[in-house]
Amino acid sequence: MFCLSEIEHTLRLPPHLLNLPLPEAIKGELEGLFLDKVIAKLGLCVSVYDIRSIDGGFIFPGDGASTYTVKFRLIMFRPFVGEVISARLKESSSTGLRLSLGFFDDIYVSVALLPNPSHHEPDPENQNQVRWIWEFNEENYPLDGMDEIRFRVHSIQYPSIPLEQEKDSKPFAPMVVTGSLDADGLGPVSWWV
Amino acid sequence: MKILKEYAGALTNFEVLDFLRSRGAGKDPTRLIAAIAPSEYKVYDYLEQTAASRQTRDTVNEFMEKCKIYDLAKAEILNIINIRPSSAAEIDPIIEECDARYGEKIELLVETVSDLLPPPPTQLESEEGIGVDKEQTSDEHQMEVTQ
Repeated sequence: MFCLSEIEHTLRLPPHLLNLPLPEAIKGELEGLFLDKVIAKLGLCVSVYDIRSIDGGFIFPGDGASTYTVKFRLIMFRPFVGEVISARLKESSSTGLRLSLGFFDDIYVSVALLPNPSHHEPDPENQNQVRWIWEFNEENYPLDGMDEIRFRVHSIQYPSIPLEQEKDSKPFAPMVVTGSLDADGLGPVSWWV
Repeated sequence: MKILKEYAGALTNFEVLDFLRSRGAGKDPTRLIAAIAPSEYKVYDYLEQTAASRQTRDTVNEFMEKCKIYDLAKAEILNIINIRPSSAAEIDPIIEECDARYGEKIELLVETVSDLLPPPPTQLESEEGIGVDKEQTSDEHQMEVTQ
């Protein structure tokens, strides 16, 4: 689920940070740049793990700040295909489910990847949503938001930033995880206990 | 920005939680004093609910040691530590071609998991109630020592 990535970056250190020790000031700048951001192909940045080296400190002519080249490692959230992760239900519609980890919400389970056979019926508590129900041995197992839902990572996409966005489209997500529930042991934890 | 190494090692949920705790998350109820970003607290909150919140370096290492006889792939061991499956049905999606590779032996592996890795906090609360919680964990530690 989490892994490290090593990155080199050249950054300008604003002079108002000169009162701090250098590594601390650079770490703060890096956190501002990378934390909670998605880097394409690398995943979502969770934390700055450590700083490997700080080089430079060159002041360009006409610039009132020093520029450093820093090598550092980031903790990235990048699930691998086939990994099993527990999440919570965020939305449930006729096109599938949307799951959330709390810090990452763009996990979708399409209808084709739901347990087979399953059907949906209107949710009595929320008119905009539906409730998916898995039929197994003539018994109904509802997919509700009561407990944790385990899903298997089916694929991860990093869509490129759209040039134009339609007015009523949903907000752009730079990283989308597609999950699958169609296997034994997946779905709400209570199904298997 | 230049990417030097896309993949410089995997981390278990426990290691990430340990990293956040070492920086002071959890000791600061106001969430303002410790130098931790709100996004990091979201990760911390998620990890506190998972099995990682009760693991220690020793239990994880011991489990890795015991896993060697099962010939599991690294990703599978990582996934088992993160999820802590407590039954054969739960472990099945984690391991590739589980039936063909292990068959009945999977029960032994599940037993190893439940012996060595502590259950996630939500399970304990629902099964035992919060009051009994502490006694339960201390009992488990004693069991580990005698084993």
